Amino acid sequence: MTNLDQYRESLKQSGLEMFELCEKQMLKSKEAFLNHDSDLAEEVIHTENRVNALDLKIERDCERFIALYTPVAGDLRFVLALRKINFDLERVGDHAYGVAKYIIEINIPIDPKLLENLRFIEMYDSALSMLDDIKESYIDDDTKKARKVYKKDKVLNKININAFKVISEEVKKDPNLIDQYLLLFSIIKKIERIGDLITNIAEEIIFYREAEILKHQKKKKVRKPSKE
Amino acid sequence: MNNIKKNRLKDQAFKVWGIACTLLGLVLLLIFLGNIFTDGIQRINWSFLMNLPSRSPEKAGIYTALMGSLWVLSLTTIFALPVGIAAAIYLEEYGKKNKLASILEVNISNLAGVPSIIYGLLGLEVFVRMMEMGSSVLAGSLTLGLLILPIVIVSTREAIKAVPKSIRDASYAMGASKWQTIYFQVLPASFGGILTGVILALSRAVGETAPLIVIGALAYVPFAPLSPMDQFSVLPIQIFNWITRPQPGFVENAAAAIIILLLITFVMNGIAVYFRNKWQKKLK
Amino acid sequence: MAREKNESVIESSLKRKYKLQAKGVNVFYDDFQAIKGISMNIKPNSVTAFIGPSGCGKSTFLRLFNRMNDYVDGFRMEGKIFIDNHNINKKKVNVEQLRKQVGMVFQKPNPFPKSIFENVAYGLKIQGIKDKTFLQERVESALKQVVLWEEVKDNLNKSALALSGGQQQRLCIARTLAVEPSVILMDEPTSALDPLSTAKIEELIHELKDKYTIVIVTHNMQQAGRISDYTAFFYLGEIIEFDKTNKIFTNPEKKQTENYITGRFG
Repeated sequence: MTNLDQYRESLKQSGLEMFELCEKQMLKSKEAFLNHDSDLAEEVIHTENRVNALDLKIERDCERFIALYTPVAGDLRFVLALRKINFDLERVGDHAYGVAKYIIEINIPIDPKLLENLRFIEMYDSALSMLDDIKESYIDDDTKKARKVYKKDKVLNKININAFKVISEEVKKDPNLIDQYLLLFSIIKKIERIGDLITNIAEEIIFYREAEILKHQKKKKVRKPSKE
Repeated sequence: MNNIKKNRLKDQAFKVWGIACTLLGLVLLLIFLGNIFTDGIQRINWSFLMNLPSRSPEKAGIYTALMGSLWVLSLTTIFALPVGIAAAIYLEEYGKKNKLASILEVNISNLAGVPSIIYGLLGLEVFVRMMEMGSSVLAGSLTLGLLILPIVIVSTREAIKAVPKSIRDASYAMGASKWQTIYFQVLPASFGGILTGVILALSRAVGETAPLIVIGALAYVPFAPLSPMDQFSVLPIQIFNWITRPQPGFVENAAAAIIILLLITFVMNGIAVYFRNKWQKKLK
Repeated sequence: MAREKNESVIESSLKRKYKLQAKGVNVFYDDFQAIKGISMNIKPNSVTAFIGPSGCGKSTFLRLFNRMNDYVDGFRMEGKIFIDNHNINKKKVNVEQLRKQVGMVFQKPNPFPKSIFENVAYGLKIQGIKDKTFLQERVESALKQVVLWEEVKDNLNKSALALSGGQQQRLCIARTLAVEPSVILMDEPTSALDPLSTAKIEELIHELKDKYTIVIVTHNMQQAGRISDYTAFFYLGEIIEFDKTNKIFTNPEKKQTENYITGRFG
């Protein structure tokens, strides 16, 4: 393996580390929220430092890679994609951190029925599975797996839009529920944002592998990959 | 006539002129060789080679002159080779490259052009008289040795110069001393060139007449030399001697002896050319 | 290790951790000053690149470490050069011994007009080593290190001049490796080679780093970026900047360095 390949491989590993770190943050914050576990929430808050440090490290290493190896073609697309993926993952971690903060600062019990009405857990699990899918896609350089997340993101969007209607109706019926619903709505918004971030990451991976830029395009249907 | 046509014409004209000049030299040489051959080829037989000189042309042979030439050639080689090569190595590798060195270089080249008879005079005074060697093979060889020494030095220096600096650098960078570099790299690489130069110098020596006459090589020697202190004759002198005789038989003898001498010269030159080609291929 | 006079404790302990050192070095060729007051410390098992415009002293400085400048007329040096804490310009130092410790690879591949085997064994031969088995082992090991063994193992007696440019340069590297030096100096080793041969040699340098300390002069800045740990930028006989390569290439301290690296230099 050449020097360049070694460096690139270590960049990829750092990216994977970031994926796993943010995935764990999301899992922990979901568990902490559903179980009212403020200790777990504290862990998430603490770990945010690691996320930030890793973000900076990857930034620096990407800069170094470009400066020292003047990469072109696939190597260049890889490092450009990694920078953006890193940025998006850091925001994912940030949202997980935000949820944890809610747990600490707004400690109110949540009625499981409300969770059901909003399809809250379904949404959270969908986002987590999207993150897992895109992580696999990153590891395997597999654009097919990357494209899977678009469908799942539609579910997230649907639940998000629905939430607005449901909450509006429910609160009119019972104004006391406003506190819980506000909290849940804030978190649903975050999860929807996480879904967007993950589809961004999918675009980056497709750009890296196929040199196609899907940004700002309507993703009406799943497109066949043009080259492998 | 426009320019293009003019240039083409000039081109052709020069080609024709060049061919003519070349042919001129070749044709003259062929005429000369042809002449000699027809005059002397019949005379060459074993007895001609083995007979001693005699007053009668039919009985005369070149044995003593041939032996004399071979003796002189050998001793000249023994003297001129080591001295000349060593001097060249010293001048080229160890000598400082200052003004004195360049004056020396010019003068050595000049020595190569000094008329050979002057070497004869030098040899007469120093070797024959002062060192009391008499008109011996040794004196003759030393004289000829001095004659060809500048040629050996110059051609050895050229061969050594032709070894690229990069080879020397590589050798030094590996931790070789100056002598190791010379012995393991420079000399083997320049060997072909040195050999060529030496053979050419020797083939000139084999044909020298004037200096040997001056130091007293005899025209009529009834015996072949058995030691370096013996008197001697050489082929060119023998040829000269025969040409001055009135009998027509001796003309034939002279022609035959010239053929032998030419044969020796051509063979030596041929060896030199062969080695030069091999050497040039190696360095590529 | 005895301390030199007037040397502080800190200085002498610094010496221990550096493989190569230069202290206040000035180099003159007759009246022309080629190197102006350079001091430098090079760590063991690292690759250091010297970059800078032509004629700025890079090669001259490189050759101080194996004293190849000694052969140039008019050469004069002030200051000190240390290898493994030994001042290599002291009278008692045996230059030939020094060059067995410090190998050199030149810009234009310069194999000897001999066989491949004889080329690689030369360094050992001049030390007087005659044991055939030993020579064969060392030759094989050296050729394997430069990834040339498989290509030439059946033709060791063929002339080295029959090899391609890239192979010849690798042969020259094998030649220096056979004597097991600890330092390898390279003076633009790939500037006469095609890109593929260059890439092979860069990979080789990367692998050699584990066992040797390497200093390389290069005109190719991307090459310096790819293979070196430290880079020194030379200009008109001085070192403008000497730092970790990734610092020089991402955020150099001096504007001059930045101008050179980005190609804005005159």
